[in-house]
Amino acid sequence: MNVPIRALGIATSVFWVLLMAFMVLAAFSVKDLNFDFGEPQFSPAPDGQLTLSLPLYIDNRGYYSLKEFHLSTVFSDAEGAEISRANTYVPVIPHGEKTTIIHNVTLSIVSLLENGEQYLFNDNNLNVSVTAGLNFAELLPVEISTNFTFPWGAPFYNFALGTPAYGRFSSTQGAVTVPMSFENHAFFDVAGNIRIELYDGAGSLLDETQTLVDVPQGSAYDGSVAFNVPLESASLSTARSGHFDVYFDTRVFEYGPLVIPYG
Amino acid sequence: MVEQQKKSKNLVKDVSFRVAKATVKAILVYLIYFLLVPMLAPLFELIPGFMESIEVFVIVYIVLMILGDLTAKTVFQYFFSTARALFFMAYLMLSMGDGVFNTSYENFSLTVNLTLFYTVAVLLSLLGFARTILQAINFMHEKAEAESGLQL
Repeated sequence: MNVPIRALGIATSVFWVLLMAFMVLAAFSVKDLNFDFGEPQFSPAPDGQLTLSLPLYIDNRGYYSLKEFHLSTVFSDAEGAEISRANTYVPVIPHGEKTTIIHNVTLSIVSLLENGEQYLFNDNNLNVSVTAGLNFAELLPVEISTNFTFPWGAPFYNFALGTPAYGRFSSTQGAVTVPMSFENHAFFDVAGNIRIELYDGAGSLLDETQTLVDVPQGSAYDGSVAFNVPLESASLSTARSGHFDVYFDTRVFEYGPLVIPYG
Repeated sequence: MVEQQKKSKNLVKDVSFRVAKATVKAILVYLIYFLLVPMLAPLFELIPGFMESIEVFVIVYIVLMILGDLTAKTVFQYFFSTARALFFMAYLMLSMGDGVFNTSYENFSLTVNLTLFYTVAVLLSLLGFARTILQAINFMHEKAEAESGLQL
């Protein structure tokens, strides 16, 4: 019986040594793993989609290959409603190699505006939930998750139409000039058309005008729009108060009407 | 009288050999622990309380190992070996639970699935446990055989 007992002892010891060696090498491999994020790139598309490309550099100098790497991001608004979900999957990251992974997140401005116009006119914070996982050393599944807020800059931050200034355009028409201003806090340029309809106090359309805007990100716009209104005594008296209907038509999104009262 | 003196001399020699063996083994195990801990320290920092529990484990393991060595060539050696194997299994089960580790650091949450490692470790410790039982049976068997041989 001594021989089988000894054999059992030797076999157990050998397996223990192998298991421990594997674990120690795995722990050392973790130390030799290097993850780095690149500068995120934003690219607007004409269909109202914003693509955020996040480069992820993985330098696997460990002893083992990384398998089934997956990265998942979920963007949600302050109320927790999901805005966007993106997944990236890489089957194998071989050991001793540098791998670059581009994680693309598509943000739909249209669906963002469906959740509320505040994303157009007020800066906000989006909640981002990130989960990354991989099968380490082909045997140990590891997952890391985190939550953070993503600052959303409004493309028409602080959009305002000032007090209308009245003047004479011709013997039958008067000119109404309205100052317009906003700041582009978004991470894309605002280029497009703003159409404004002028309504009098009775709700009649007096005139409409449109202006082209091209405001780079981080810049402010300060301009004015002009309307021609008939110089009748009735319309002049009702034109002292009323409302503007503002329609935005940019390369990235369309929105309107935004109703702004005046007078 | 001379034979008795010889016997007691042998006993002292035997006991001192056991003590020396136990000491050397304990020092070796502690040295392995001492060398491995700094290497794995960054990993231990992620799991609060893990370092303390490892320390307790090493202390109990070394004590049981010393007791096993001191009581060598008696049935108590196998009691302590079995206790050590059982303690190892119990420690594994209590410390690892279902084999899935969850830890949080600031805003990050890390999950490591050690189920496979845990399964292999429990199977190996079961083998160790089976070995100590077999050793105990073998010891009793040899003792009974020796006694029956003496009686004949």
